[in-house]
This record gives sequence, structure tokens and C-alpha cells, in this order.
Amino acid sequence: MSVLVGYAPHKGGRGSLDLGLQFAHILGQSLTVVTVVPRQWSTPSLAKVDAEYAEFARRLAEQSEARAREYLLDPSVDVEIDYRAVPGRSVTSALLDAAEDCGASLLVLGSSTDGAVGRIVVGSTTDKLLHVSPVPLALSPRGYRSTAADGFSRITCAFSDADESEKVVAQAVQLGRRLRVPTRVASFGIRGATMYPPEVGLSAEDSVLDSWLEQASEAQSRLRLDGVIDENTETVIATGTGWGESLTSIDWLPGEVLTLGSSTVGPLARVFLGSRATKLIRHSPVPVLVVPRGYEIEA
Amino acid sequence: MSVESRSPAEAGGLFRRKPIGDRHGPQLERSIGTFQLMMFGVGATVGTGIFFVLSSAVPEAGPAVIISFMLAGVAAGLAAICYAEMASAVPVSGSTYSYAYATLGEIIAMGVAACLLLEYGVSTAAVAVGWSGYVNVALVNITGIQLPQAILAAPFGVPGQATGIINLPAVVLVFLCMILLIRGASESAKVNAVMVVIKLTVLVMFSIIAFTAFDADHFADFAPFGAAGVATAAGTIFFSFIGLDAVSTAGDEVKDPQKTMPRALIGALFIVIAVYLLVAISAIGAQPWQDFEGQSEAGLSQILEIITGNNIWGTILALGAVISIFSVTLVTMYGQTRILFAMGRDGMLPKVFSSVSAQTQTPVNNTIIVAIVVALLAAFVPLDYLIDVVSIGTLTAFIVVSLGVIILRYRQPDLPRGFKVPFFPVTPILSIIACGYILISLHWYTWLVFACWVTVFIVFYLLYGRKHSVLGRMLAGEDVDADDATKVDE
Repeated sequence: MSVLVGYAPHKGGRGSLDLGLQFAHILGQSLTVVTVVPRQWSTPSLAKVDAEYAEFARRLAEQSEARAREYLLDPSVDVEIDYRAVPGRSVTSALLDAAEDCGASLLVLGSSTDGAVGRIVVGSTTDKLLHVSPVPLALSPRGYRSTAADGFSRITCAFSDADESEKVVAQAVQLGRRLRVPTRVASFGIRGATMYPPEVGLSAEDSVLDSWLEQASEAQSRLRLDGVIDENTETVIATGTGWGESLTSIDWLPGEVLTLGSSTVGPLARVFLGSRATKLIRHSPVPVLVVPRGYEIEA
Repeated sequence: MSVESRSPAEAGGLFRRKPIGDRHGPQLERSIGTFQLMMFGVGATVGTGIFFVLSSAVPEAGPAVIISFMLAGVAAGLAAICYAEMASAVPVSGSTYSYAYATLGEIIAMGVAACLLLEYGVSTAAVAVGWSGYVNVALVNITGIQLPQAILAAPFGVPGQATGIINLPAVVLVFLCMILLIRGASESAKVNAVMVVIKLTVLVMFSIIAFTAFDADHFADFAPFGAAGVATAAGTIFFSFIGLDAVSTAGDEVKDPQKTMPRALIGALFIVIAVYLLVAISAIGAQPWQDFEGQSEAGLSQILEIITGNNIWGTILALGAVISIFSVTLVTMYGQTRILFAMGRDGMLPKVFSSVSAQTQTPVNNTIIVAIVVALLAAFVPLDYLIDVVSIGTLTAFIVVSLGVIILRYRQPDLPRGFKVPFFPVTPILSIIACGYILISLHWYTWLVFACWVTVFIVFYLLYGRKHSVLGRMLAGEDVDADDATKVDE
């Protein structure tokens, strides 16, 4: 088993490498850094364009490895690191093939470069993987830095009172044990925007939020009753006028990870991001881990 | 505030009242000024009725419909002022239902709720039917596609009106609004301002063109049905003043409400009455009052086509109407869902109305139920029948609010009020008289429908709400879940 990091030197930064190393260390697995390079034509051309192209791909792979090695010089942990260049036309499918090849337990990706630092910016490759990946997917925010030896501090599981939510929480609890950190269950609510003109008053949405709060806290206590979480598991309800405000209204520790379940709309055993999860990812101040539906985390 | 301290609130009483508490959460910043508040009023009011009310109202009163417009406007304005005091005194999420619950007691609140279902639910249906007419005109004029009559109108109607099987465009509109509301879409203050501009522009355009065909002879037989006709028409027209109370509900966030509130109300009322009079006078000047009957489909567009001989201006007006009535439908339907939501939270309706979807964080079931009922009404009941029912419900609700103001002044004179009605008790009494006068002149069959409806609602209350009422269970010392308890105790 190995933690696989999808890395391209000019896209995203070192965040994914840091996060990957952190996971590999705590899980006691090896780290595989994969760079997808362009696949060449199999028929040689007269002008040797194909050879030049092959040369470019080779140089890209070399550069990538050199850069990644530079970033991964963390003397505090001892993790076996393997660098690979995989040819492929589609980065998504090449990464998925690589993950299958090395039996990856986790796929780590960084943020795309055009977005705010500290936030997760979902690029096109990540976006596709978020809808097909059979292995859990970890995403690092832009500019994420960590020291692998510090490990993680806490797992926060985003919980909504929807079908199969209990399973998602159970997954997170399992993961918390695996990473040897406490798990926290968090429900995120947003107050609906005020409707203008305000025919039933400007505060109508406050009572909708109140109802949601009651339902959320009931659902959280049901988790305890059903034995999904124990007495010591912290539960928290966050609200705000938007997803950003809701997510930042609760405290986040350095080294914390937010986990999300996959939407029930998607196929079983695949990561499939729902509309709410998409918003949570976009506003999360910490790395996010998305787990496929029905995925078993080994103890 | 503890529940026990209120003597009139006995556990089994039909008139038990919900305590008036502090508004929960931090004090809102007072940020709304006169102009913005006025825009709320104009935005909520213009568009509910004026685009299609003339074809029903003019045949009832003749040219004297102009007086009806003023009468209905004054009644709505007086009621809105009372509304403002109530909204500032009873700091609960604002609808007449909540005010009545806090001041007049549970059973009255239930009666008011029955009225509000007419004011919001049925008016959503009426507005959707009106929209359907304008959509059809725009579609025919722009693309030449004529939809079959069977899917354009309800299966029955007033004599002389084209009938069909189902009003499909209206149903489509209702379900579009449902999807938007489920997804949590809302109309921002900016969009509201844009809508106000669109509505006023097309209505002013209408008047300018209609005035080119002005013929003073059309006013010769001014009041063919006398005062009774004027009052009946005022009842019908009252429908087009619904929404003026939107000004009053914002009381909490208004800067210097004692000054701003009446100014905004009067300003909004002035604009609305002026625009309506402009439209009515120019329309009657352009065609004899007898011609209005049967113009229930996109009436204003039809008049423009008759005047100009081509359909360009009629189409522009229809497009303006299509855009702005869409937003009116959305806002009105939203209001209905939130009123039912409040009732669900009070235990007066089954929990299904107050449950919030974990997925979308909006009251999805509630919205679907409202959409289905409204769609059925819009699909199978013609406009003329819907309008009067809306008016009777709204007028009754307004009277209750005016009464509530008087009762609350005597019962709780020290209650802090952000806004006080000027010339108390004259204003609320005048409001009751004005609304009552219009009310008694409505058709007997409107009264019959209304009486049946309120009875059904009260019976439902006696069978269900009385037992399930959160307040009732609290007063009876029952252990209501903690969340409900805090709600009542607030």
C-alpha cells in the first residue's frame, strides 16, 4: 500500500507533497509521487518531431522529480519515496491507472494556482477525480505547508442528516483511530438570503435556520444514541450567512483534516461529490479528505 | 419571560396568546432608509394586480373605477400604517398570523392564517394565471407559435371568456418558482429595484401610448352602477394593493422608524396610486368601458394593439410583464411557504411544514405542498374567481391587524413600540371602516367561499392544532422538547 501524490511542477505547488508525506508517515506507508507526462506517438515521423516530443516529456519528468525531491527533504520522518513519470493523454485516467498499479490507499492532489491562498481551488483534473475516484481523495489548500513528523491533530467529519450520513461518520471515526487522532462531528448550516421585497419580514429565514439547528442537534444526538460516536466525541454546529462564514465560525487546529462523504447520487465505491460537499471544499480552511461511498477503512 | 405570568393564557383556552418576547439574536443594525423602504413597497405592490385587474374591475364600476382605485389605495394605506405599529411591537418573524397569535389569541390567529392562505397562496395562483396570458401574447407575437387553447385556460370561466382544459403556462411558472425556492434562490434588494424599474417603465409606456387615443366621451357615463359598483370594484382592485404591507414588516431595520415609516408608506402609496390611476384613466380614455369585459388575457397588451394597430408595443409590454410577474410569483409563493413554516413551528400544522431538508437547508416538503396546491388552483380556476377571494382574505387580515393595534394599546400600553400609529385611535378605526366598507360590498358567492374556507380551517384547528399547539402543551405543563420550549420562552 502506498500514498500516491499527483504532482506537476508548474501546476499547483508543494502543498500536495507536504500533505502526502504527512499521510504516508502516519499511515506507515510508502509515498509515490506521480507526474503525468504526454504520451508519444508510436509511429516515428520523418522530421523527428516525435523524438523532440519524447525528449520534452523526459525532461518534464526529470524536472518534476528534481523539484519534488527538493521539497521532500524532510529529515524528521523516514518514508520510502518512489518517483514515477506516467505517460498519458488524460491526466485523470493516468492517475487512476497509476493508483491501481501501486495499490494506492489514498490519492493526494493540490490546489490549482488561480485562487486564494489558504483555500482549496479545484482544478479540472481534481474536479474529474472528485466524481470517479475509487480511492479516497485528499486535497491540500493553496500554499499548504506542514511538518510530516507532527502528524495530524484532529479529524472533523462534515455531517448532515441525510441518508447514509451515519456511515460517513463511522468512516471518519475509523479514520480517526487509524490516524490516532480524535474525531469531531460538525454540521454546517447557512442562513438563507433574505427575500426582497420582504413580504413576511426580513427575518423569515432566521426561523428556517432555527429549525435546521434543532434538526441538526437532534441528528447529532442520535449519532450518540446509535453508538456511532462515543461520549467523548466532540460535536459542533456551525452557522453563517454563507458557506465561508459557516466554516470559519468554528475553530480549526493546525494539522486538522476535514472529511466528507460522497453523494448518494453517485455509484457505490466511488468518490462522487454532492453540491453541498463542493461548497464545503471550496471554503474549507484545512485539507479535505473525500471518501468513496461504502469505502472500508481498515483498522 | 415565563409562561406562567400571563394570566389570559390558560392551558385549554382558545384565546391563549403567544408571549411577546425579545427578538432573538443580536439587535439588527438599522440600515434601511426612506427610499429603500419605499422601493420595498412599490416592488411588492405593483405587479400583483394592475397588469390584469382592469378586465375584472372596469365592468363592475364603469369609469368610476378611478374612485375605486383611490378607495382601495387609501384602505390599504391605512391598514399598512397599523401593520407597521404591530410589526414594531410584536417582534416575531412578520406575518399577520404571528401578530394575531401574540395579541388576539390562538383561534383568531388560525382564522387569520386562513385569510393569509388566500392573500398569499391564492394570489400566487392568480398572478400565475395573469402571467400565462402575457406569456402567450409574447410567444404568439414574437415566434408566431400559437399554443392550443386547451392548454391555455381553465375549463370554466365567466360568460364570454375563452375556456380550455388546463392553464399549463401558469402551472409551469409555479413549478419553476418551486424549484428556485427549493434550491434556496432568493431575490436580492438589487433585483427588486430592477424589477420596480421594469414594471414602472412598461406601465408608463402604456399610459403614454394610451393617452394618444384619449377620448373624454368615454367618461361621460361616469358611474353606471353607482356607489355600490365603485365599492365592489374596489374589492376586486384591492388585490392589486397587496404587498404594501411589505414596508411595515421591515420596521426593525429601519432608521428612525417614527419618521421613516410613514414617509415611506405614504411615498410608496402615492407612487402606486399614481401609476394605477395613470393606467386606469388612460385605458378608459382609449376604449369604452364596456370593451374591457373579456380582456382577461394580457389585457393591457390587447389595448395597445387596438390603439396602435400593430403588436410591437403590446409585445414590449407583455415582455416587461412576463419578467416582473415572474418575480412577483416567486416572492408571493415564498411568503406563503414561510407563513406555513411558522405555523408548523407553533405546532398548528403537522411537522412536515416546518421540517428543513438536510440537503438544501430549505423547507422542501412545505414548498412542494404549496406548489402543488397553487398549481391546481392556477390550472383549473379562472382569474376572476381567484381575485375576489384574495381580496376578501387580505381585507379581513388587515382588519384584524387594525383591531390588534387598538387591543394591544389598551392591554399592553407600556410595550416598547418602534413605531406608533399617528392619530390613534382614529387611524386604526378609519382603517377598519375603509376595509370593512369594501369587504361588505363583495359578491355573496365570494363571502360563501370565504366562510366555508375559514370554517374548514377553524375545524381543523379544533381537531388538530388545539392539541398539538406547542404553546398549549407548554401551558399544560407538558414536557415539550427543549428546543420548542426555548422558542416559546424567548
